[in-house]
Amino acid sequence: MTEYASMNERIDWKRTKRIVAGVDIGAVNSRAVILLDGQPGALSEVATRRPKESALTAIGGALAKNHLKLENIHYIVATGRGRTQVPFARETISEIACGAAGAVHIWGPSVRTVLDAGGQGCKVIHCTEKGRATAFLWNDKCAAGIGRSMETFADLVKKEVTEIGNIAFQSDKFTKLSDFCAVYAQSEALDLIRSKAPIEQVIAAYHYAMARRISTLVARSGVKKDFVIIGGLARNPGIVDWLERILKVSRLTHKREWDPALTTALGAALFADASYRRQQFDTSDAAR
Amino acid sequence: MKKGDILAGLDAGHVYTKAVIMRGQEILGHGMEPTGFDVVAAAQIALYRALDNVGISRGELAGIVATGIFREMMKVPPLGITRTVADHVADAKGALFLSKHSRTVIVIGGNIHKAIRYDQNGNTLDVIQNDKCADGLGIFYMTMAKAFGVSEQELSELALESTKNVPIAIQCALSAESDAIDLMCQGVDIADVADAISRFMAERVAAMCTTISLEKEIVVAGGLAKSKVLIKHLTSLIKQDVYVLKLPEYLGAIGAVISYEDGK
Amino acid sequence: MSKKGSGTIIERFRSITENPHEYAKSLQREGHLLAGYMCTHVPEEILYAAGIVPVRILTSHVSQAMTRSYIHETYCSFSHDCAYQGLAHNYDFLDLIVTSSSCIHMGEAFNVWVRFAGFQGKSFLIPYPHIIETKPAAAFMAESFGEFKQFLEKFAKRSIAGEDIERAIKVYNRTRRLLKRLWEFLRRDHPPITGPEVAMVTLASQVMDKQECNQMIEQLIRSLEGEPGKAPSGVRLMVTGGACDDLGIFDLMEHLNHSANLIFIDSCTAARYFWFEVPEGRPHQLQAIAEGYIGRIPCPAKDNVPGTGEKKRFRFIQQFIEDFKPDGVVFLYQRFCSPQPMDVVALKPILDRLGIPSTELELDTTLPITQFRTQLEALVEIIRQVTP
Repeated sequence: MTEYASMNERIDWKRTKRIVAGVDIGAVNSRAVILLDGQPGALSEVATRRPKESALTAIGGALAKNHLKLENIHYIVATGRGRTQVPFARETISEIACGAAGAVHIWGPSVRTVLDAGGQGCKVIHCTEKGRATAFLWNDKCAAGIGRSMETFADLVKKEVTEIGNIAFQSDKFTKLSDFCAVYAQSEALDLIRSKAPIEQVIAAYHYAMARRISTLVARSGVKKDFVIIGGLARNPGIVDWLERILKVSRLTHKREWDPALTTALGAALFADASYRRQQFDTSDAAR
Repeated sequence: MKKGDILAGLDAGHVYTKAVIMRGQEILGHGMEPTGFDVVAAAQIALYRALDNVGISRGELAGIVATGIFREMMKVPPLGITRTVADHVADAKGALFLSKHSRTVIVIGGNIHKAIRYDQNGNTLDVIQNDKCADGLGIFYMTMAKAFGVSEQELSELALESTKNVPIAIQCALSAESDAIDLMCQGVDIADVADAISRFMAERVAAMCTTISLEKEIVVAGGLAKSKVLIKHLTSLIKQDVYVLKLPEYLGAIGAVISYEDGK
Repeated sequence: MSKKGSGTIIERFRSITENPHEYAKSLQREGHLLAGYMCTHVPEEILYAAGIVPVRILTSHVSQAMTRSYIHETYCSFSHDCAYQGLAHNYDFLDLIVTSSSCIHMGEAFNVWVRFAGFQGKSFLIPYPHIIETKPAAAFMAESFGEFKQFLEKFAKRSIAGEDIERAIKVYNRTRRLLKRLWEFLRRDHPPITGPEVAMVTLASQVMDKQECNQMIEQLIRSLEGEPGKAPSGVRLMVTGGACDDLGIFDLMEHLNHSANLIFIDSCTAARYFWFEVPEGRPHQLQAIAEGYIGRIPCPAKDNVPGTGEKKRFRFIQQFIEDFKPDGVVFLYQRFCSPQPMDVVALKPILDRLGIPSTELELDTTLPITQFRTQLEALVEIIRQVTP
């Protein structure tokens, strides 16, 4: 479980005019992005426990790096499952709109389809070149919890969740597991372990099954290029690789500067930035 | 083998491997280790933990009896298993040994929960096990505790503080987990969510129990039997009193030894 | 804003939806026989003609797993909940239960009541065709209704005359017309009543004696006609799907981060329940009922025109879209329902062509407010073209 905070050392926050933040309180992880005059100032990620507390921990992590206080932030937008539990947010916006905005900001105006593969659910978002969401498809209930099931599965095979994705690469030959439901897949994976299948094969099998499950959602929604994958599972090379192979669509590769899992939080921060600028414009208008 | 011989019982389950050291009817000590994917290694560690607990060496054991879903995998050197015993046989014999008046045992484990009815000699009369949709209640419980950043013990304690009955999806662990997260994100108190999770598990076990006739006294074992709130909900759902066995996780290991003794 | 005459009547309807058992028992105390029905394909008029008040069996939203030993895990939660209520003896006060053969999930819930909840001998299953758009279907239905009538005459120990059925038809048609007028208020930009309130009244009508119901709706409409419009209008949302007695979802739609209004519901717990009429003044009333019920907005389980494979329901939906002008559509159906999502597969492209955004909400025993809120807010944001 990676928890971290990082800061852009090159910006002096005391000289910035606009300090805004986006917080994405997801089912498994909470993330915060602080923008200083529209540039990334600080990022943080913590595991979600109780949403209200995790929101404070996430923003606290990003603030600490900059020696900022919550009061210094001009505008905060909350998104994600726990967004209604963020007491310090000015506005809440769905992770659909935020995911689309963040994705186009990171990958550019060619993006049209965004797969947000998260801890508790997956969504496919269609957007315009400006990052405006035009349609989305939410996972059906039976496809819930794939991201979290990866963590549980990693615990069961006594590996780190960050390494199983790479291990999954190592085998192309494996028994197929049920790909309808993570509970079934996990049950069958445990059976495979019992019948002495090599652990790398079981890990590969589980990844393939989960990628297949996610792929049905994407196929139902349709993919228009360019295609990107965001969310926690975007960090799992096993899942991402299998998705591309199953869907026969290649995605834009991850950018070095941006962890794909932070895309939605970034999108929320962009909304905060825009809302704050509009607010400033309106008040300056009124002042005249 | 003479009377007074020290025997070890090993129960290799999906989540934990348990070891118990017994001399006749006396339980001398026990130990456990997460099974992971190397059952033999886990069994070794559990066994040595138990031996340490008692203060005897491996050589003093007259034999090792194995049970659990991975029992066949333990039949390799250096473990030196004397005999394997089927799960339900071990569970029934063990339950009768631990509670002479019992006739039904409900075992709620990491990946499997089952109910076994047996006669006054501990011979199995009927067995029922969970279906796939209700798989892994123990694993589910561990996952939820981790998700909330508490220990399993704390989750159970939180549940007891619940003041509100909050509905949760019952279909399967996935839907229950989905709802639990949803409830947390609505701002529902964690104690009420913890209680809803425990109720979900009790409901699944109780639903399984409707397909077997439960004969008194009913006892409960397995790792999840330690959850007071789970027992509370189970009792009210099956509308019968139940008794939690001592050393509930070690039922299988104890029963393995007992059934070996019985067989002689 | 003060709640005038309409407010009190609305609260009376709401109280009935929250305490349907008490209301039903009060009818019994007045000497009425009660028949519970599990599907709206039951010809209620025939029951009413026999002096029996039909009350719809709705869900309790209790999360329980006991019904998993009776009906399969992958049956919808609506059917599991209905089965549970029988086993929990919540409806023991009913004199009779009736259903028509429709979908297998509700059929099994009905079986549970008959076999395990003590309703053997107090039940009737009406054979009802699935392929309705054929010549033999009407004759089949009329004959089936005839057998039902004979059963009721024996059960209620009285004969049912043609005039009795004709009277019942008139009462029920009145309910249908009144409910239609109520929903028509929502075509306005500033209706004097909200969508969730109209949905609630419609749900109440399904568990009420229709004559009493008609009086109350008439009063309500008279009151509303004199009242000004309510809250400002927001994004217009139309719901289409399967049975949903979860009024909380409709309330949620009007309490999102941006303003939205529920303006129509195509479901068997809303419009499909009453958006048709049975021809009056015909010599053969059972045939008239068959004709009327064939003319309903079809349930997807019974919507398949042989030869063309056309879906009649879609024509209705397109008409509703023209009349009620939704900005977005919410598909609302039970998890594990088969017919509803199959309709969605064909409906979505139609909505895409019309440029109407949509989302799908999967119903279950519980109401996942957070998840539904996210999907609904995302839909509204898309409609409002929200960008940074």
